[in-house]
Amino acid sequence: MEQAVLFCENVQKSESDRIQALRLHESKYHEGGGIAMYVIKAEDLSKTFRVRVKEKGMRGSIRAILHPQVKEVKAVDNVTFAVEEGEMLAFIGPNGAGKSTTIKMLTGILYPDGGSVNVLGLDPIKSRKQLAHRIGTVFGQKEQLWTHLTPYDNFRFFGAIYDFSDKETEERIEELAERFELEAFINTPVRNLSLGQRIRCEIVASLIHNPSVLFLDEPTIGLDPVVKENIRELIKQMNRDYHTTIFLTSHDVGDIEKLCKRIIIVNAGQIVLDDSMEHLKRHYMKQKTQQAKDGNQPDTSGADISLEDIIMEIYQAEGRRIE
Amino acid sequence: MSRHTYGVSGRKYVVIYRAVLMENLQYAANIAMGFFGYFVFIFIFIKLWDYIYQTPEELIAGYTKEQMIWYVMMTEMIWFGSNTGAVARQVAADIRGGNIAYLMNKPYHYTLYILAKYTGEWSIRLPMYMLLAVAIGAAMVGAIPGFRLATVPVMILCLILGITINAVFKMCISLLSFWIEDATPFQWLYDKLILVVGTVFPIEIFPRTLQALFKLTPIYTVCYGPAKLVVDFSGEKCIEILSVQFLYLAVGCVLMFLIYRKGVRKLYVNGG
Repeated sequence: MEQAVLFCENVQKSESDRIQALRLHESKYHEGGGIAMYVIKAEDLSKTFRVRVKEKGMRGSIRAILHPQVKEVKAVDNVTFAVEEGEMLAFIGPNGAGKSTTIKMLTGILYPDGGSVNVLGLDPIKSRKQLAHRIGTVFGQKEQLWTHLTPYDNFRFFGAIYDFSDKETEERIEELAERFELEAFINTPVRNLSLGQRIRCEIVASLIHNPSVLFLDEPTIGLDPVVKENIRELIKQMNRDYHTTIFLTSHDVGDIEKLCKRIIIVNAGQIVLDDSMEHLKRHYMKQKTQQAKDGNQPDTSGADISLEDIIMEIYQAEGRRIE
Repeated sequence: MSRHTYGVSGRKYVVIYRAVLMENLQYAANIAMGFFGYFVFIFIFIKLWDYIYQTPEELIAGYTKEQMIWYVMMTEMIWFGSNTGAVARQVAADIRGGNIAYLMNKPYHYTLYILAKYTGEWSIRLPMYMLLAVAIGAAMVGAIPGFRLATVPVMILCLILGITINAVFKMCISLLSFWIEDATPFQWLYDKLILVVGTVFPIEIFPRTLQALFKLTPIYTVCYGPAKLVVDFSGEKCIEILSVQFLYLAVGCVLMFLIYRKGVRKLYVNGG
């Protein structure tokens, strides 16, 4: 396990180097007004929740009324990262790591306690409605579609919400329905759709206004492998065809591996790794080979590297560090 | 294809209203099942006032028997016809359960979204109860003395304003869920104030000191105003009620936006 900690620390070094590099890159190009490379920038982003604490039993309940106690939980702790236009980024971490809190700050839902956020040149808090016109969100565990209406009526609804004329909405529905093969069920009430069909429609509904950035929070949760693959293909397709930036959180390694070229791992509110998928695997392999040479680990060079193993090792290493 | 109206366009709220209307049309049969409760309530009051009024010419607090029964029928119609879950239960549940997060990141104002939804809900219920009230009134009570069809549009305006004011104040209470665990007790108190004091008797029936007090509460604009104009219309009273309603609506909206703005900063949405 100590090797895993060492591995993580080594990767973290590359992560801090990367942030430095991003900042230099940004100051060189973006502020010069030349190339606006980043669609998302978060600097020292922090969010602390105040959580009520209650001792166990009846005595604890009474004491909580008389002397309420509050514990501060740092959900996001000085997080800094940037996402380039058209990038497909996996933002992952164990439960309670701060992923969803970060997404909610990026979309203007939660107010950060510290740091700054900039999405598509806008401050999400000050310009939440303006930003809503330019981003899309899909939360796998929440429905945004009206279940008694058909997907078609839902798309018409969302078109109007985003201030499109009926004609523009019609054209967009036609295009999306054809591209993402919705024709077979576009006129079936959402409540009668299968989960896979519903998620497809959820994603398409979030694309009606042609967003530049799409936040996907566990989009494939609860889906069978075939439908998962369809959804991944749909996500890839919209990134390819519309150059949509994808910000994905998922516990499904398949989503991450098949969709994203870059991965950010968060734990206890902090970024523990920010690296390209390719570099991460290469670095991990190098580390393993070195460990084998040192006699600390069996030689695994030449074996298939599973991203799941790497992620698990990082989670466990970070878990140990927190304990 | 980006647009720049950023939530100020009224069209999107009309679209929300229409979507709820389409959704709720499927529940028309369910709504009709509530007719029984309304009928029982009105039947009891018809019998009660029949018993209290000794002679057909007798006036109580300035109301004839027909006016008194029609008054109760109108206020109960408002209560039954506008008693939906959107402004009370949904707002509180959205805040407590964190669902508000997913509604906030759309290009509309959450409170106006809820109001549009609520309007879509009562737009089905209220006309159904209105038809029932007219049918019961025509069959069991008789015509309203001095009723003129020409005054109906202004009565409808007053009715819509009253229901909207009620929704705004109920929403203000629900928005307290940003700070407190459960706003239901406050909602219950408000509902009981409207139901017990506002719908059963006209304000004139209470002692003068209480009348003055009730005129300061939403009872005056939500129940009393619209029902009074139906049973005893006068130009002077109409102007007075509408003026107070507009004032109440303005104050209520300012309060609602203020509470929402303050509360949303307190939003605590945990988990994914």
